[in-house]
Amino acid sequence: MSDLAARQAALVEALTAGKPVPDGFDGFRVEAARVALLRKRAGEVSRQWPMLAASFGERWKREFGEWAAARPTQGSLRDGWDMARELHKRGSLNGAAAEELAEREAAMRYDGAGAPQPRRTPAVRSAAGAVVVQFAGRVRVIRRAS
Amino acid sequence: MADTYGVGIGWRPEIDGFVAELPGLRFAEVVAESVHAQGDLPAGLSRLIDRGVTVVPHGVRLSLGGAEPVDPERVRHLAAVAGRLNAPLVSEHIAFVRAAGIEAGHLLPLPRSRDAVDAVVANVKRTQAELPVPIALEPIAALFDWPDDELSEADFLTEILDRTGAGLLLDIANVYANARNRGDDPLELLDKLPLDRVAYVHVAGGDEHDGLYHDTHTHATPQPVLDLVAELCRRHRPPALMLERDGDYPPAAELRTELDAIAAASGYPAIT
Repeated sequence: MSDLAARQAALVEALTAGKPVPDGFDGFRVEAARVALLRKRAGEVSRQWPMLAASFGERWKREFGEWAAARPTQGSLRDGWDMARELHKRGSLNGAAAEELAEREAAMRYDGAGAPQPRRTPAVRSAAGAVVVQFAGRVRVIRRAS
Repeated sequence: MADTYGVGIGWRPEIDGFVAELPGLRFAEVVAESVHAQGDLPAGLSRLIDRGVTVVPHGVRLSLGGAEPVDPERVRHLAAVAGRLNAPLVSEHIAFVRAAGIEAGHLLPLPRSRDAVDAVVANVKRTQAELPVPIALEPIAALFDWPDDELSEADFLTEILDRTGAGLLLDIANVYANARNRGDDPLELLDKLPLDRVAYVHVAGGDEHDGLYHDTHTHATPQPVLDLVAELCRRHRPPALMLERDGDYPPAAELRTELDAIAAASGYPAIT
């Protein structure tokens, strides 16, 4: 690896993976860039995952920033998907945000490591208060009567 | 781009309807990575091209300043999009966006060093070899500099342009942001840049946080940036100047006011 390549890698790791700021840089300014980067990512994820973002209200940018601080982006679709799955596993994904995740899970196959792919076979996923059915690429949400 | 286009705007799906209704529009830009190399163009974009608006693809993910060679697949995509849009040129940044397989998620500054110049020049040449049209390079806004810069910003940029023959996409808001954050005079940079090489100009808004000016593209263009547009055009008026807005879209009337302000500052006719 060339000197420039190694130095670029160290800077990217400081900005995205929680590694220390390389020697000689202005720590205050690199930190400002790191926080701005997380705010920008939060905005991009909220466009792909509007219900996930809305479930946090005013706290969205801060909560996403904490979740993403040591996770370099895999693109906003996967970032939001990974965060939603984690929240779902902890039982803290509710309402429209849970339905949004169930819809994506029914429509696409995502192994957590590569790009999500459209499902070729029918799928059923349940979310709080709803069942999501995907058949031939069309996604239907069936809400239970409350 | 020998032609004169006047005031333009960055096309985004969220403001498709607004852009479609600008009667005097002759120039627009689209994020290259948002356009499919095959398949249908977004309807709004097709209609702009049909009515004779020049649409330039603006790449954001090539990482021309990366130490590694530029990804041939990304270059092929940019070339294909240029063909689909029938664009007279493409643009990209003097920046890197990934290293060692990690995506930064943003445009990052390069050290202003000889080896960084060599890396950019090599990648621009690899890209030019595949492109059907010329490329213009955009210097970015950076919140921080590298500790060991050898070249001034003007020398760094001029050397890259001279060695590649590329045009300059001058972002006047980046000139403002960098000068303000470094405590420099933006006019000094304008006086040193090869303004006859400017293919077109970006104009955008930003906001201050903790004493640093952030080039957000989600705020209105501030007056000092419009004043710089006037200073630039007094020196050498570029063929096109366009508003770059990437989120928190205001009501149409506010966007029209901003486009009119760019027209007034540059002396080009209003397009609204």
